[in-house]
Amino acid sequence: MEISDNAVIDNRGYQYFAGLHGLPGQYCRHGNPPGSDPLFLPWHRAYLYFFELALRDQVANAALAWWDWTSPVSQASGIPVSYAEDQAGGAPNPLFKAKVQPAAQQNGQPQETFRQPGDPNELPTAEQIRQIVSLRSFSDFTAQLEDVHNSVHGWTGGTMGIIPWAAYDPLFWAHHTNIDRLWRVWQLRHPQNFQASFLNRALPPFPLTVGQTLNMKTLGYDYASTKVTVPGTRA
Amino acid sequence: MPERYISSPLELPSHDPAADFVRAELKFYGVDHSGLSYEARVFLNRPDASADTPREEGVDGGYAGSFHIFGHGGCFGDVGHCDVPSGPRHPYDLRLSHPLTPDTKTVVITEPLRRMRAHSAESSFTITVVAHVYDLGELPLGRDQTEPLLFDSVSLLTYESPPPLSATSEAEAERPAPAPA
Repeated sequence: MEISDNAVIDNRGYQYFAGLHGLPGQYCRHGNPPGSDPLFLPWHRAYLYFFELALRDQVANAALAWWDWTSPVSQASGIPVSYAEDQAGGAPNPLFKAKVQPAAQQNGQPQETFRQPGDPNELPTAEQIRQIVSLRSFSDFTAQLEDVHNSVHGWTGGTMGIIPWAAYDPLFWAHHTNIDRLWRVWQLRHPQNFQASFLNRALPPFPLTVGQTLNMKTLGYDYASTKVTVPGTRA
Repeated sequence: MPERYISSPLELPSHDPAADFVRAELKFYGVDHSGLSYEARVFLNRPDASADTPREEGVDGGYAGSFHIFGHGGCFGDVGHCDVPSGPRHPYDLRLSHPLTPDTKTVVITEPLRRMRAHSAESSFTITVVAHVYDLGELPLGRDQTEPLLFDSVSLLTYESPPPLSATSEAEAERPAPAPA
């Protein structure tokens, strides 16, 4: 069964998930305002988790890919080819752009996503990320990583460059999966203890708390840099 | 539109040369993020800096770093939707903070500040912040668009490394013995 991208009220579909972040749902959490918990990383991990589950309901082995904007290829060419080409296999490339549901439009616009990318050498560098991952304090780390995240949204431009429509762009998911991966790398290097009030904080609209996003084993995924397989004895 | 900000003079911190700062940062408080997305480029002692000024570090270039705002693009709700509540919250109000609550942004300027201090006889300096607004194309942004670079204040914070353990022990040794009970 295929869910039409016009079926905006089907809560299994792309438009439903894209609409949770900015318009019309407006659930996303950004920033580190004083007196508030830093929910940027936990909220977006919950978002990715439920989006990937929805993908796997359609394709059992589907998995989110990450866009490492520090890679030599990205530093030279910018957006990965798989997202940058408007055609794939002789058909429109679904990773190039996506429709924007009417409930998220203003005066009928935007009807679909678009990008206005900057110069690839303006993307964050591996050295910047190395310094951020070396930070010991979670509040320092999340603030600096979120700032880099902001810069990539702005660098991509167009609908990706502004909160209301960013999540409609298929590139959004690859960008945020990379942010989530970097948080995982940091978690492995800097185990932390958090206050119960932070751990018990709910992450609406998702039925998860901050504490439940910290242990990736319970979420059932992880980030492997490489995977090499050879035949076993039954091959 | 304030796409450029020049601070009042900030006093250079004085540190004991034996315990100089190991980290220096500029903290921008009350940063608005309800409008456009932009990069805020920070220059030290460059009141002439503009959007065209190259981001060159060093004393002459003065570039110290930047922060980035991922904006909300204006208000898309009805009247009052984007007004951040002020005043104390009800103790049983478990809702998350208003999404447009002003943010705090930090730019680490340890090396640029050291360089500037080494080449300047002045006891104070200014910072210039230039907004570079990202290219969003022809998007239908919301009403009540705010201008870039709206914030309450900016502070320079410096941090010294903790004193070596031996010094701590000496200090404790000099402390008078507690009075007998």
